[in-house]
Amino acid sequence: MIIRRRTGAALISPLALVLIACFAAPIILMLPTSFREYLPGMGITPGSWTIDNYAQIILDDYYREVVWRTFGLGLLVTAIALAIGYPLALMIVRGPERWRVPLILLVVFPMMLNLVVRSFGWIALLANRGLLNNLLIDLGLIDTPLKLMFNMTGVVIGLVHIYLPFMVLMLVAAIQAVPRDVEAAASTLGAGRIRSFFMVTLPLTASGILAGSILVFVLTISALVTPRMLGGATYRVLATVIYDEYMQLLNWPGGAALAFALTLAALVIVWASGRLAKRWGGMA
Amino acid sequence: MTLAPGRIVAIIAVLVVIFLQVPVIVTMLAAVSTTSYLTIPPQGLTLHWFAEVLSDPEYLKAIRLSLILAVSSTTLSLVLGVAAAWAIHSRALPGSEAIASFLMAPLVFPSVVIGVALLQYVSLLRLYGGTGVLIAAHVVITVPYIVRAALSSLGGVDRSLEEAARVLGATGFEAFRLVTLPLIRPGLVAGALFALVTSLDNVPVTIFLLAPGQQTLPVLIFSSVEHGVDPGVAAISTIMIILTGLILLIAERRTGFHRFV
Repeated sequence: MIIRRRTGAALISPLALVLIACFAAPIILMLPTSFREYLPGMGITPGSWTIDNYAQIILDDYYREVVWRTFGLGLLVTAIALAIGYPLALMIVRGPERWRVPLILLVVFPMMLNLVVRSFGWIALLANRGLLNNLLIDLGLIDTPLKLMFNMTGVVIGLVHIYLPFMVLMLVAAIQAVPRDVEAAASTLGAGRIRSFFMVTLPLTASGILAGSILVFVLTISALVTPRMLGGATYRVLATVIYDEYMQLLNWPGGAALAFALTLAALVIVWASGRLAKRWGGMA
Repeated sequence: MTLAPGRIVAIIAVLVVIFLQVPVIVTMLAAVSTTSYLTIPPQGLTLHWFAEVLSDPEYLKAIRLSLILAVSSTTLSLVLGVAAAWAIHSRALPGSEAIASFLMAPLVFPSVVIGVALLQYVSLLRLYGGTGVLIAAHVVITVPYIVRAALSSLGGVDRSLEEAARVLGATGFEAFRLVTLPLIRPGLVAGALFALVTSLDNVPVTIFLLAPGQQTLPVLIFSSVEHGVDPGVAAISTIMIILTGLILLIAERRTGFHRFV
């Protein structure tokens, strides 16, 4: 033991206290709010408790649609990021050596770039009078602008762009961990390159695929900025609805219930995937 | 004509890399274009929007607040996070693993949830709009990156080195400062960079805690976009693109940054 127990406590407690005061306490204090009754224009009714805020997430058509849309969006964005991220990750690990660092930096650069700036770039490109529509009209290919924003198209493009780097970096780590010998062994045994990829490399990277997919899915269902900027006020997801409940409708109980539902979904998915990964790890 | 599988992978990879740079290129084009709506080729080139943005007091105020928040929260996170990580790594306390998960917890909570929880909390405590509150909130969202970077760097350090220093008469803190700290510095630089960017980037927590009239740069851009595409926004975005690129290149040169991501 390099440091004593008392020193250890002294080293950890400042951060632990900050997190208890500024993270745990606010979230715990929000729990009772989510069971309060809210009357529009009147605020929170004192002294009454209800589970309506939670019930309406499942029973109310509007909220139910938002929940389905959010999770559907999560699945779609994850699938696209995986499909286009895997070839890039493969190229980074197995491609020419001198390409590796430039490629990684070209993946990390947009990831480090401000989220708002990136969404702005997509707006300049996808808006009704944006670059793409102007170009297509000038070329005479279309007469009226295509609707690329304030709908699913824009939000999916923006979210894939933002979370793709996370997927690629997770996959790079997974592919790097596959020894080249096993592929060589497969080809010695007569498997072609495609066959050895699908029968050997791909299964061996399953845990990386799972980890990357979970990360992208959880980030997508909790995203606020991109859906707000590219989806506008019409195409709503859970995070933007929470934002509106709090900032515009001042319906804090409803917003708090939605916030807990979203948190629960994220935590359950992360926990379940951890279990799943452990079981796979045990089998391999 | 059939293509070899390797070539198909390469073509897809190149297209995906181009896709990743598209908003960057478009933003930079918009910043130097004379028209407020982009055309290709740009109708005329100008640096007018840069001058306009950099003399706008609203933008300058937002830039200032963003920098104050980023620098102070990253510094605080470094001090608190590295101390905690060192104690966890030394197994000085029982339940180190549980403590580590608690310190990393803000990472798995959706930002918007942390944002609304803090909004309610500060209005309960009547602390709305204070810079201290904003710094504390930014510590909460940046500190997991530092803890993670510090723990993984400490994992790569041979513990017998620190013990050797102790045998040679160094105090515990001296052994850490003179032996371990220099060894984990590159990892900490990478972690600090992530923390800095996370703070400079944040909207979903910050937006709930700002007083009326108070703005950080991303929140200002976020709300001006609601009024349409503005070349001023493109100009300030381009400045951020160039700064991000420079920071990344310097970090890569100095620490081999790509190994830490």
